[in-house]
Amino acid sequence: MASGNTPKPPGEMLGEAERRRFADLLGMVATHQDRDAYSQLFAYYAPRVKSYLMRLGADGALAEEIAQDVMVTVWRKAALFDRKQASVSTWIFRVARNRRIDVFRRAKRPDLDPEETMILPAGVEAPDARLEAMQTETRVRAAMVDLPEEQVKLLKLAFYEGLSHSEIAGKLDLPLGTVKSRIRLAFSKMKARLDDD
Amino acid sequence: MIKVTTAPFLDETTRAALASGRAEPALGLFLDVLMEMRGISEAEGEAIAGLALEAEAPAVMKPDALAMAFAAIERGAQRKPAHGAMTHPELAGLPAALRDVIVAAEASGSWSYAGPGIKRLHLGLPGAAKAEIIRLEAGTAVPWHTHKGQELTLCIHGEFSDGLDTYGPGDFSAFDGKVRHQPRAHDTGTAYALAVTDAGLRFEGLLGALQKLFGQ
Repeated sequence: MASGNTPKPPGEMLGEAERRRFADLLGMVATHQDRDAYSQLFAYYAPRVKSYLMRLGADGALAEEIAQDVMVTVWRKAALFDRKQASVSTWIFRVARNRRIDVFRRAKRPDLDPEETMILPAGVEAPDARLEAMQTETRVRAAMVDLPEEQVKLLKLAFYEGLSHSEIAGKLDLPLGTVKSRIRLAFSKMKARLDDD
Repeated sequence: MIKVTTAPFLDETTRAALASGRAEPALGLFLDVLMEMRGISEAEGEAIAGLALEAEAPAVMKPDALAMAFAAIERGAQRKPAHGAMTHPELAGLPAALRDVIVAAEASGSWSYAGPGIKRLHLGLPGAAKAEIIRLEAGTAVPWHTHKGQELTLCIHGEFSDGLDTYGPGDFSAFDGKVRHQPRAHDTGTAYALAVTDAGLRFEGLLGALQKLFGQ
């Protein structure tokens, strides 16, 4: 359905054991500056961070350079990683996103459409919020596996690629209204699965 | 007023506006209910993105990518910038307009490794043209990026040569994308340049004016 440059087919999500191993590796980088552990993380994440940046429009050389920076930041900030709060993938995504914002700092998005589905920050964290953070990861993983592919795609465009509804409409060559209602559906299904665990 | 954004991540202004909204209990309640009904929390959104990243099709990295990362890590371990001060004190004497931009850029980003002896700082200015500071250690030459558009290079500290000319503080070069030039810092010390690339904009009028004002 999507026209134009269809992204390469994605790989697989990591299994539970792999995720635990990556969290162990990042822990070893933090506590022992373990170069071998870092090399393994680099081998997995650097090429994927580069793909992420290219997906967002960077050319190969720039994406390579930023991916390098991101991975260097991963080494430097490894001590800030808390496996109780996020997976390594989510944590590295945040590093990459922030670095990308620095590099591609843009003028503010102009028209904010109050009709679009919104993302709100958690505000001041409740005392038990930290404990729940990792459960959020686990539940999101489970919910994503359950959702139809079409809806997973919309969620990725919104959260991973950071596109607005109208940008998604342009990319998928669909009317804006259709995109809005489908995203609303994807969100509500996601919410329903998140809530009934 | 509370701003609501559709962007999957929030800029600082929006974040601050929402946080201050929460200080008001009625508004906090409103936001909580709204989020419950319509939104996905930031943490949930980031978890979705983390999943997408880990399932991403890997791109090919350069063969020496890991070695370069280790080199950058070692280089970075040697420097300890004083908090709130400029990373490189020799830039403290720059015009305030540039110094402020550098301090702001250092606060939100950092100098990045751009090859042996070379560091760059993206200044993060809005607009299509790109401005960055390039730092060259004594004797280092830039394998300068081949830019598609035009490039203005102003020496802001130290001295460098590009094979065509020598530049000290206040000297600048203007090149279109066709001419290759390779600035090399003099052996006497570190050199810094402010490089502006036009990213498809046209600097022609500007170049003409600069030529009249400063040209030989």
